[in-house]
Amino acid sequence: MPEIIVKYEDKVIERVVTEKKRISIGRTNDNDIVLENRGVSRKHALIEFNNNAAVVIDNESLNGTFVNNRKITEEVLRNEDIITIGKYSLVYHSEASREGYGAANFDGTMVLKTKRQKQLLENTKMEREIVDRYGSSVLLGEENAEFSEYRIDREVTTIGRAKFVHVHAKGFLLSGIQAKLVKEDSQYSLVNLGRKGKTRVNGEEIDQCLLKNGDLITIGKSTFKFVEGKH
Amino acid sequence: MLLALISDVHGNLEALSAVLEDINKQPVDRIYCLGDVVGYGSEPSLCLELVTKNCDIKLMGNHEYAVLGLEMIDSYTYAAQTSAEWTRRQLTDYDFSIIADFEMERTFDDIYFVHASPFKPDQWHYILSPEEAAIAFEHLKASICFHGHSHIPLIFSEVSNSQPRKRIGHSFIPDRDNRYLVNIGSVGQPRDNDPRACYVTFDTDEREISFHRVEYDIKTTQKKMAQAQLPEMLIDRLAVGR
Repeated sequence: MPEIIVKYEDKVIERVVTEKKRISIGRTNDNDIVLENRGVSRKHALIEFNNNAAVVIDNESLNGTFVNNRKITEEVLRNEDIITIGKYSLVYHSEASREGYGAANFDGTMVLKTKRQKQLLENTKMEREIVDRYGSSVLLGEENAEFSEYRIDREVTTIGRAKFVHVHAKGFLLSGIQAKLVKEDSQYSLVNLGRKGKTRVNGEEIDQCLLKNGDLITIGKSTFKFVEGKH
Repeated sequence: MLLALISDVHGNLEALSAVLEDINKQPVDRIYCLGDVVGYGSEPSLCLELVTKNCDIKLMGNHEYAVLGLEMIDSYTYAAQTSAEWTRRQLTDYDFSIIADFEMERTFDDIYFVHASPFKPDQWHYILSPEEAAIAFEHLKASICFHGHSHIPLIFSEVSNSQPRKRIGHSFIPDRDNRYLVNIGSVGQPRDNDPRACYVTFDTDEREISFHRVEYDIKTTQKKMAQAQLPEMLIDRLAVGR
């Protein structure tokens, strides 16, 4: 099955593996691949799959569709071709990578999904200010549709659905204490404690993971960005 | 409604089974477990399974916190540290996910349930002296607190709490205009010089609190613990209840 890796400024935000004959790309929610950006037309382009061939067709978009940096109206895709639409690039793979979901992180990039997660990526300046203010590492996330900041300076910080945890997360079948952040020397590790498959770092399911600055932690439906501070 | 309250099972399957059997002989509506299902004993997984199957509410104990790695066990005694590390190795991912769902506290009407103390529940403070009881009362918003942790069945009342009141082997009806801290004792490792497993029933209509003691096959438990090479001190104390 063919696969499309959607990237926004080099961060992987979606991996689409499809059996469909045709997928639509555009700004509005009724598209198969939704690209939220003003440079993208409502119905921007289509990709048609026919036997083993794939063709990308520009839908008379305002800002155009590019394949390997060349503006096209219709183009047969070859493996690893890069379609550029606005600030997004879509990498075409004629066959989905066999290792599955995790393999999308071929170069350590992130798998993101929602608008909010994209926003979390974009606010580096604000983050530095927050970290300087706290003088420690910080988790940035959302709670009740508002941005939240959690200072991370304990030996162990708990994350989950329970009232008594340090960082609250939401999600179906989430454990009371779903995960913990553990300080080890000057670094932090994220460890899953609750049900399997509810703790992800940069889109990838983890049991235990050493965190890097900017990592996106997803616990159930809640996503937090780990911003490393001074120690 | 008749509640059965159990606490501090500590991986002692024989004691837990005997207590559940005893509970089943009575018209008990709900069973609440007030924490420390694991630690010390040789069968943490099977005890977790029985508690999950039988108990309507499961509260977090410090030994659950220890196996989840949420509490630094450096301050534990050698025996407790050894058994915590041993226990951690026995538990499956599924066991961990069950523990990760334990609650810290529960309140129904004016009755409060917690493992150690209403004062910072996740700091696991003991309530053994009138001074400790006074701090607990300060933080208690209900009129009765049922708890475990010290393995010693004990009742403190807020008015005239200078004398800890031991009320073992019989029933007790709390006064409406007083408040109480009720330690329900330990199922799997009693420390009040009575080696029999201890639990409490509470009749919410009559407001009657009853302590129960149940004999169990201590020798089998000790044999299993020895096979698991758990610290001798933990094995020996079961026979004397200390």
